[in-house]
Amino acid sequence: MKYIILGASSGLGRELAYSLAKKNNNLVIISRDERDLKAIKEDLEIQFKITVQSFELDLSSLEKIQNFFNSNPIIIDEIDGILMPIGMIIKDDKIINNFENTNSIIQANLGSVIYFVSKFYPAFVKKNKGTIVGFGSIAEMFGRDKNVVYSSAKRGLSSFFESLAISSLSTKLNIQFYIVGYMNTNLSYGKNILLAKGSAKELAKIVCNNFNNNYKKIYYPYWWIFINILFKITPFFLLRYLYKFIKKN
Amino acid sequence: MFEKKKITSFDQNCSLEIFIKNSDKYKELEDDSRSVQNLITMGSCYSYVAASFKEKSLSINVKNFNRILFFDKEKKIITVEAGMKIFELLNFTLKHNLWIPQIPGHPFVSIGGAVASNVHGKSCAFYGTIKNSVKNIKLFHKYHGWLNLNSEENKDIFDLTIGGLGLTGTIISVTFILQELNGLNFLTTVKSVNSISQTVDFLESSDEKNLTYSWNTIDSNLDLNSFGKGLIFENKIDEKNNLNSYKKIKFINKKRIFPINLWNNITIKSFNYLFFIYHNYIRKNLYKDNFSNVVFPFYNKEIYFSLFGHKGFIESQILISKEKIHEFLEEFKRNIDIHKPSITIFSLKKISGKQKYLRFEDNKICLTFDMVSNKKNTHFLNEIYKLYIKYNVLPSIIKDSNLDKETFNRCYKEADIFREKLKKFDPKRLYRSELSDKLNI
Repeated sequence: MKYIILGASSGLGRELAYSLAKKNNNLVIISRDERDLKAIKEDLEIQFKITVQSFELDLSSLEKIQNFFNSNPIIIDEIDGILMPIGMIIKDDKIINNFENTNSIIQANLGSVIYFVSKFYPAFVKKNKGTIVGFGSIAEMFGRDKNVVYSSAKRGLSSFFESLAISSLSTKLNIQFYIVGYMNTNLSYGKNILLAKGSAKELAKIVCNNFNNNYKKIYYPYWWIFINILFKITPFFLLRYLYKFIKKN
Repeated sequence: MFEKKKITSFDQNCSLEIFIKNSDKYKELEDDSRSVQNLITMGSCYSYVAASFKEKSLSINVKNFNRILFFDKEKKIITVEAGMKIFELLNFTLKHNLWIPQIPGHPFVSIGGAVASNVHGKSCAFYGTIKNSVKNIKLFHKYHGWLNLNSEENKDIFDLTIGGLGLTGTIISVTFILQELNGLNFLTTVKSVNSISQTVDFLESSDEKNLTYSWNTIDSNLDLNSFGKGLIFENKIDEKNNLNSYKKIKFINKKRIFPINLWNNITIKSFNYLFFIYHNYIRKNLYKDNFSNVVFPFYNKEIYFSLFGHKGFIESQILISKEKIHEFLEEFKRNIDIHKPSITIFSLKKISGKQKYLRFEDNKICLTFDMVSNKKNTHFLNEIYKLYIKYNVLPSIIKDSNLDKETFNRCYKEADIFREKLKKFDPKRLYRSELSDKLNI
């Protein structure tokens, strides 16, 4: 089996690469920094004796993604699944954002995923086999005054995966979507968080164990599902008032 | 973003609030390093002393840089990142009957930490220190950038970095020359000795290829001929019995500490008595042993350290010449009779090498002892430091939190040369730890 992992050089992407390599799967790993990719590729090939192709690609640019598909020899028919644990945040992502930042955040968190799925989906449908795994964020639960574009893109991603699950109803495709809370990765490093952080290694194991199941939407760590229900049943004006109260105090 | 954390040295003698970052990308490591004035690199934080942190300063933890970058079985060469732990390296190389012989006693020490401390291990009589296995180092320095260090390229910095306590920059990866290992099983011979003097004589005559070390009990008020009764362990590779494969070591975080110190004169004497009886009378004096037991004497026996409680322990490890050891021991014993320190472990082994800069190596006898951390024992140690100076002894910097600047300066003849060369390479002295500040390195 051969899987593509986007954002494989760190955090959850890296853990997914090792989990899949342990099960003797060949990999195509894609990330922004060639040095990190090279180190992971060497390690995976030496330790697990698998074949790893690595590609340097900035997923925040649709143009670069298009060029990548035009110039790289990924044989779409050979791929058995795509895993897209991508998350890009920038420091000053507020209501007022410049064009470049807005575009980059949307492309990295949403556009690139949609583009990759659209490239591989026809081949998967034809084979009636294939795995597509996406990773949302708890940031999508509620609008906010920071990481504004990021949370919007993640909410869009959630909608896209629902559409994917609906569209693939008559197929045997394995669609998985994870709403991920705070993890022990560098995205939440150094932040004071009341709830315990989830383990990227553990989540990678869960993802691999769900490869043969039907559509899954999973909250990780699991308690976020209860928080999500609370958000869903509480009227927005009340949440807004609560937010104002918390900010004040 | 950096995390504020309280970090404690392995011997529990230094506890400080620091900033820490677990970088996992090369770019992030570069950016983090350049974002602060002073920093130091942290591996596993298993140093006995505060070598990988400094109060209110940034420690870049390289634990995520733990990959194998190159391996050539035929040429016996491996390149690994500095955050890889010793046991992870061995878990891989031993499958190919290869290893580096200079293995520190604790399997969770990082490769970068082992090189920065120039560790030796039990095989040091024959194989010397880890320096002898290092072929190349890749270093990142916030001003000098990426440097390749070896005996031809940046030779001076290579020399400063091995045993340089991480003060030349962040060690990113290390290339080792591996040695063949002819078996994973050992035959251990145990012999009893009546004194430390007898132990020294035995070590002098032992086969250097075997891993030989002693365990001696320290009782006061005995004459020198019966001071330090104990046992000598000699581990020899059992080439005939090569059937058992290496049992992989798994990481278990056992840094749990008892709330109070349970080592006192009664428990130490009782433990030593039982240990001696067990090895001298109950267990055979020739038995089969496995790799982990032999190479990592404290693996799965971490309770020994936990029993010191939160106040911790003091370890002093020294190198002393064969010519001076008997005279030194006489004065050492005299101080023991006066101060009656609570010594839990006392051990000797042979070591080989050529001393330079801050490196703990020479063709000498290596003597190690652990004590409960308290005022009485600290006072005893301060008296013993005078003997270190008198007998031209080399105390290990990375073992003893108590070691003061004056003793260090007088025992390390090349300390000033190291300081000078380091200053020439890094005039602003950007990489600093609590240890380096204390010793003014």
